[in-house]
Amino acid sequence: MASLAAGWRIQRRVIGALLIRELVTRFGRENIGFLWMMVEPLLFAGLVGILWRFMKGPEEHGISVFAFIATGYIPLTLFRNAVGRSIRVFSVNGSLMYHRQIKILDFIFVRVLIEVVGASMAYLFIAVLLGAFGEFPMPADLGSLLAGWFLYCLFTFSLCLLLAPVSEMSDVLEKLVPVITYIMIPFSGTFNMVTWLTPQAQTAVLYSPFVNAMELMRYGVFGDRVGAIWYVSVPIYASMLCMLVGLVLCRRIRRELVVE
Amino acid sequence: MIHCEKVTKSYPMGHGRKQVLSELDLDIRPGEHIGFLGRNGAGKTTLIKLIGGVELPTSGKVRRKMRVSWPLGFSGAFQGSLTGYDNARFIARIYGLEYRDIRDFVEDFTELGAQLKMPVKTYSSGMRARLAFALSIAIEFDCYLIDEVIMVGDANFHKKCHHELFDKRGDRALVLASHSVELIREFCDRAMVLHEGKGTIYSDVNEALELYARL
Repeated sequence: MASLAAGWRIQRRVIGALLIRELVTRFGRENIGFLWMMVEPLLFAGLVGILWRFMKGPEEHGISVFAFIATGYIPLTLFRNAVGRSIRVFSVNGSLMYHRQIKILDFIFVRVLIEVVGASMAYLFIAVLLGAFGEFPMPADLGSLLAGWFLYCLFTFSLCLLLAPVSEMSDVLEKLVPVITYIMIPFSGTFNMVTWLTPQAQTAVLYSPFVNAMELMRYGVFGDRVGAIWYVSVPIYASMLCMLVGLVLCRRIRRELVVE
Repeated sequence: MIHCEKVTKSYPMGHGRKQVLSELDLDIRPGEHIGFLGRNGAGKTTLIKLIGGVELPTSGKVRRKMRVSWPLGFSGAFQGSLTGYDNARFIARIYGLEYRDIRDFVEDFTELGAQLKMPVKTYSSGMRARLAFALSIAIEFDCYLIDEVIMVGDANFHKKCHHELFDKRGDRALVLASHSVELIREFCDRAMVLHEGKGTIYSDVNEALELYARL
């Protein structure tokens, strides 16, 4: 047990150090510094919200278009950024392999964590801002919102754990990622509730872990007004599967990793 | 002690694999100085990386029972876009040391002055060597892995390296990969000649150097 506790202490130290290193490298110490990490999701949610506001009018299915886009787009940017950051993460961070206490799982964890924190801050910021203008409701069920967000983040992390080693094995994946994340949008639950779809389409999208997590989050925000449908088991099982395969592949890739 | 047991390393090359080291055995005892000799591409750097745990062997085992430094070489261990100070901060954090102590030592040893506030990618190879050396010496290891790096740099740097490494830390184990015959002869107790994936260890350094000269 003593060595386990020591290992935990070292990992905490390493993750803290990697976090600071990543924040300094990416955002620097100038002007707002690490707060930049919430700027991109904020801009996306804000600008796309304005676009949709003009295209669709103030409300759709009885819900503020602004609030609906914000609740959808921020998780989507989390997923896209986290996946983008995980591609070839081992090659990019090769110099860190010189220190044996840094494990390759730490890289993925830290990168996803930064995206999660950035997206969470953006979510809170935009909810308060829109709330001040009466465009965002008081969350109907905060527990459901947090549980949904947790599931969304969990599945994103698990997917990154799988994609990071696969991207090292094949160069093709790197080229396919942008188009796949784009095609994925209908299966992310960003722009619609499941109940707005045809019955066949409903069955199909409910296989997506993202859709289930998103429905739960939206229930947390809008309550019964949106008629959300979700199965908690889908994101949980999908995450467990991705994590299992991902961990095996990470272990294998570490053995083959060539460090300059 | 460091035990290397039947260490084999191969890299993918075209459709096959290139065997760099095959079934190599080596024990490094506390306080011992070992030199690695071999032509370019013989596997000196690879073996040092395996001992340091930067890369893992294809088969076989490396067991470390003392604190082993990371391999000190021309590349690696740094984040080029970060400043010298930021790299020092990072090292201090992951090794759980007081940043102030490391900073003072690095400033004193490297004599880089304001350059430490610049990103490491702007450094010359001599400046990089100074920083790399200072950072690893600032942490007390039982065994230092040194890959050629002392060879770069000016006379003043050589003198400092000798003082810090051979005088002040003469009781630590040392693995030295080098083409410098004088360095190995002067400072090593044993030497290993690497040739065609095999490593042969000699207790008599002069014997190893003679063999190396004939390769």
